[in-house]
Amino acid sequence: MSGQAATAAEPAWRSRVASIPAGALVLRAAVAFVLLFVAAWVAYKAYGDPRTFVIVGLNGLTLAGLYFVVASGFTLIFGLMRVVNMAHGSLYMLAGFFALELQTTLTGGETTSAFGSSEAGLGDWIIPLVVASLAIGLIGLVMQQLFLRWNQGQELRQALITIAIGIIIADQTLAHFGGIAESLAPPDVFPESVDLPFSDLVYPFFRIFVLLVAIAIGLSLWAMIQRTRFGMIVRAGVDDRQMVSALGINIQLVFASAFFLGAVLAGVGGVLGGTMISVDKANDTQYLLISLIVVIIGGMGSLAGAAIGALALGLVDSFGDVYLPQGYTNYSILLIFGLLVLVLAIRPLGLFGRPA
Amino acid sequence: MRVSTEGGRVRLWALLAALVLVFAATVAACGGDDDDDDGEATPTTDTGGETDGEATGEPIKIGIFSNNEGAFAPFEGQTWGGAMLPLINRGASPASGDPTDGVENATIAGHPIEIVYGGSDSTPDKAVEEARRLVEQEGVDILVGPLSGSEGIAVANYSKEQPGVTFVNGISGAQDTTLKVRSPNFFRFHNDGTQWTAGLGDYAYNELGWRNVVTIGDDYDFPYSQIAGFVAEFCSIGGNVTQRLWPPLGEEDYSSYITQIPEDVDGFFMGVGGTGTVAFVKQYGQLRGNLADRIMGGIFMTDPVILEELGDQVVGVVTAGMTAGDSQEPAYIEYTEQIAESYPELEGTGSSVFFYGYYTAMEAIAQALEQVEGDLSDEHAAFRDALSNLELDAPLGTIKLDENRQAIMDNFLQQIVEDQTGDGVPDVKTLETIAEVDQTFAGAFSPDTPSPDRTNPPCEEGTPPPWTEQGGGS
Amino acid sequence: MSRPALTVERALWWGPGLALLLILVFAPLLFTDFYLSQVLTKALWLGIAAASLIFLAAYVGMVSLGQVALYGVAGFTMANLVAAEGGAETAWNPWAATLMGILAAVAVGLFFGAIASRSYGIYFLMITLAIAVLTYYFFAQVTELSGFGGVNSVARPGIVSNPVSDPQNLFYIALLASAAVYVFVRYLARTPFGLALQGVRDDPSRMRALGYNVPLLRMFAFGLGALIASFAGILSVWWNTRISPGSIDLARTIDVLVIAVIGGLYRLEGAWVGAVVFVALENWTRGVDLVGQRFNTVIGVIFLAIVLLSPGGLMGIWQSITDFFGRQLSRKPPARPSPGPADEARPASDSPQPS
Repeated sequence: MSGQAATAAEPAWRSRVASIPAGALVLRAAVAFVLLFVAAWVAYKAYGDPRTFVIVGLNGLTLAGLYFVVASGFTLIFGLMRVVNMAHGSLYMLAGFFALELQTTLTGGETTSAFGSSEAGLGDWIIPLVVASLAIGLIGLVMQQLFLRWNQGQELRQALITIAIGIIIADQTLAHFGGIAESLAPPDVFPESVDLPFSDLVYPFFRIFVLLVAIAIGLSLWAMIQRTRFGMIVRAGVDDRQMVSALGINIQLVFASAFFLGAVLAGVGGVLGGTMISVDKANDTQYLLISLIVVIIGGMGSLAGAAIGALALGLVDSFGDVYLPQGYTNYSILLIFGLLVLVLAIRPLGLFGRPA
Repeated sequence: MRVSTEGGRVRLWALLAALVLVFAATVAACGGDDDDDDGEATPTTDTGGETDGEATGEPIKIGIFSNNEGAFAPFEGQTWGGAMLPLINRGASPASGDPTDGVENATIAGHPIEIVYGGSDSTPDKAVEEARRLVEQEGVDILVGPLSGSEGIAVANYSKEQPGVTFVNGISGAQDTTLKVRSPNFFRFHNDGTQWTAGLGDYAYNELGWRNVVTIGDDYDFPYSQIAGFVAEFCSIGGNVTQRLWPPLGEEDYSSYITQIPEDVDGFFMGVGGTGTVAFVKQYGQLRGNLADRIMGGIFMTDPVILEELGDQVVGVVTAGMTAGDSQEPAYIEYTEQIAESYPELEGTGSSVFFYGYYTAMEAIAQALEQVEGDLSDEHAAFRDALSNLELDAPLGTIKLDENRQAIMDNFLQQIVEDQTGDGVPDVKTLETIAEVDQTFAGAFSPDTPSPDRTNPPCEEGTPPPWTEQGGGS
Repeated sequence: MSRPALTVERALWWGPGLALLLILVFAPLLFTDFYLSQVLTKALWLGIAAASLIFLAAYVGMVSLGQVALYGVAGFTMANLVAAEGGAETAWNPWAATLMGILAAVAVGLFFGAIASRSYGIYFLMITLAIAVLTYYFFAQVTELSGFGGVNSVARPGIVSNPVSDPQNLFYIALLASAAVYVFVRYLARTPFGLALQGVRDDPSRMRALGYNVPLLRMFAFGLGALIASFAGILSVWWNTRISPGSIDLARTIDVLVIAVIGGLYRLEGAWVGAVVFVALENWTRGVDLVGQRFNTVIGVIFLAIVLLSPGGLMGIWQSITDFFGRQLSRKPPARPSPGPADEARPASDSPQPS
């Protein structure tokens, strides 16, 4: 990274490097080495079998899309209100089950069969999506108003409260919806698979749809945060809550809206994931972990961070399962762990995180 | 709303809450003290339970334990239906339309039967906890259960610590539970998961002409057992298993695994359990197309609940299991009628393994008790003897036990066909009955061979099991 | 405060604790075998796990959700090394394996501590939670070490005997271990190292300015927490005779947190108080038909109530009661400020006083 030389005697980059303590330098070198190695390994595997690479790559991207939708809600709440919403995974799961219930009712009480010719019309999917997401948003809002509004600043206490609520929601969901995994039926107007250009490969359409939706959500959120007044307040609030409040802005309204939005995103994620993969009672743990990892990697309160984090996680998840040497595929979880360690080693606050 | 500082009123609330909690804790403490619900503390190494079995008419306590949480929770009703049916056939009456509420006036051989409820969540930890509660706190004499594969191994290990209680398996199907653990007071009156695949390897090799197969199964005991059976049979007659994929349990996204399956493989054996079946079949359909001509399924594909969910996508798939829903034997027809009469909501589930496994367990217990007239003395010696030598005439065939107290019974080779009964759900047609399948698969499995796992048994030629074409069967 | 009031207050504070201790020492004579094993012994080792969490929270200001994962490392290491059904095929001496288990947990704890040492507050909580869940998935997926079926029939040292037929031995071992942990932590608090940790809790930047290597201190503290947690792990394997990934899943992690909070997050005694309440409640609700399997909802509600109303937990409530009586006796206005809301940086007034 050569910039303009500050003095004639020493190039800028050299003095920059010299200013980093030795330990950190070694750490960064190690990280760079690991990244290069991984890139080389993947490239080697891809060269040997480009078809698998494309499919697995798409798997990773589409997963990343889903993860982004879920984690964006989490990071929004976290970034603005410093609330770790431990109930986020439970909300995701509840949304899935609730949407499933709605869809079953709409399609005439038959168990939805999510294969081939789906029996669900466009409305039979959109309506559960909208209703479930809004319902979850409402639940989130109520949770915030009742339990979180009056203890701002007590982060640990709020985390404990959301844990408790998460437990209760998860248990009650289990009580009312049983344990076997089912999935939501996508609308019948959607094709089952699409042909990928330049190849004879096919790929599930719905997963591509999820990726597109994720990109759309990401762009809308970005536009909202950067261009609207609400977004401006949110940004200011992330930086300095007290000041925003001191300026006479109704910060409570902003918080409530943000929490509502965050919960809605969890709900949308739940319906998308429930259609793309399945609705399952283990979802609450899974998607809480995913949200945590994405935000730890990407940085608190950062949308771009959430995108990068989701991408990293989705790709590592997909490629890890396939590209590890045969016989070691069950160690794929260590890759995710390694990813976490890698990021935290050089950026304890995440890639785009800023200190509170 | 409440302010965040601790004011006087909040203190009062806190005090109240504290009092309530302390009260609850005391109640709980007293509840566990010497006054247990059932009188005396249960000695854990003496003759288990309260009945010394001498006097006729002494109540016998039977604990029934299934899954009320977890992936198999929806099958709880079926397991209880199966367990209660033999009692109903002997004069008991269902307490309600819900089988888990038990029965009233149950007697066997003149002894009143008290039913105790237990439930876990398919994890071995919870299963052992619950088994301990039923045995040590509730003092059951006989325990029927558990449900899932890994639970069975854990509970069978626990049974060794409780020689005074007889354990009869519910429907947990891992092979090791009897073959390796060999607890002297643990009985299994149905085939294990390995035995349930008998006939598939033969069919794949000889009928479908497959020579190269890939297996894919969830990474835990039960799929290991299932795939072990298929591998042992298929390889012993010359087939080759080129790859074994093991997505982690809880993995819902099978797309990356599906892409690893080579396109030129003849077929593959799917050992993905309950919740994953749905996800897997769907994702396979999206990535590769029609399943039927290249796949073989494990036991779950024929469960009525799953068939409803999977639908037309799996018509043509060949599978095997220990029950045959289309049997026309009079004993079976009578059995299904009994079910419809006793539990109308469970009509049609007689061929579900969950129902059948618990049914054979309770029926065996009942018959053995009748043989010894309820004598549970001497650590159930006579009763266990009766169980070991019992030839149970079950609705789908006779069941005998081997020297490890593991069942030897018929297995059924089946195929999923289009709906013939008009209910919109594909049906299962029995292709062939495989008679008297034993646990060892003609020596492929023994207490000394490694337990089924990700790489065991190895794919090698060997002694073909007797029911295969190469082994002398049809 | 007047002398009699102080004495009374001290008696009120310590009295019940000593009485309880006396009851525990004679427990095998007072309770059934089942209760001794399923409630008391379980409460003791769960209490140790909670104590490791409370130690880190109260003395170092690090609220960690990784304690269960760490005790899992100890338990799995030990279970794999000795003869058992499942897991690795080795058959070490149980005591050697126990030692290895403890060492493994401490090593892993130091490693996790190093990763998380530069993070604070809620961020630290999140990282430890993520690490804990990842550890769970690791043990669930690496079937060479356990897999879903877990490691069964784990061999025990002779002195532990059979926890099903002879629960007294394990009970006393657990009691001794709990006492040891308690005494050790209280003692540590007064050593220079312990004081440095409390300084890190109160004001890390000031400590840094004084020349202390704060991340290193936090890392060591985390290792110590892992040491305590490892005792709980070993005991849990002996108690259960087995270990499986389900023993360290997210639910269990949250359970230990719940125990710590119910007992009182900033009081060491709270660990065992919370554990007894939790286990007794669990045991009781199983038998109650109405509640049945919805134990999680019940515990969630109680947990919520405690966090909302008395963040100091049961010990906090107890403190309020003793304060109240103390004030009544001395008839003076309260001498020190009331325990504040449970913020992680402010347990100063609740930190154990030398008494």
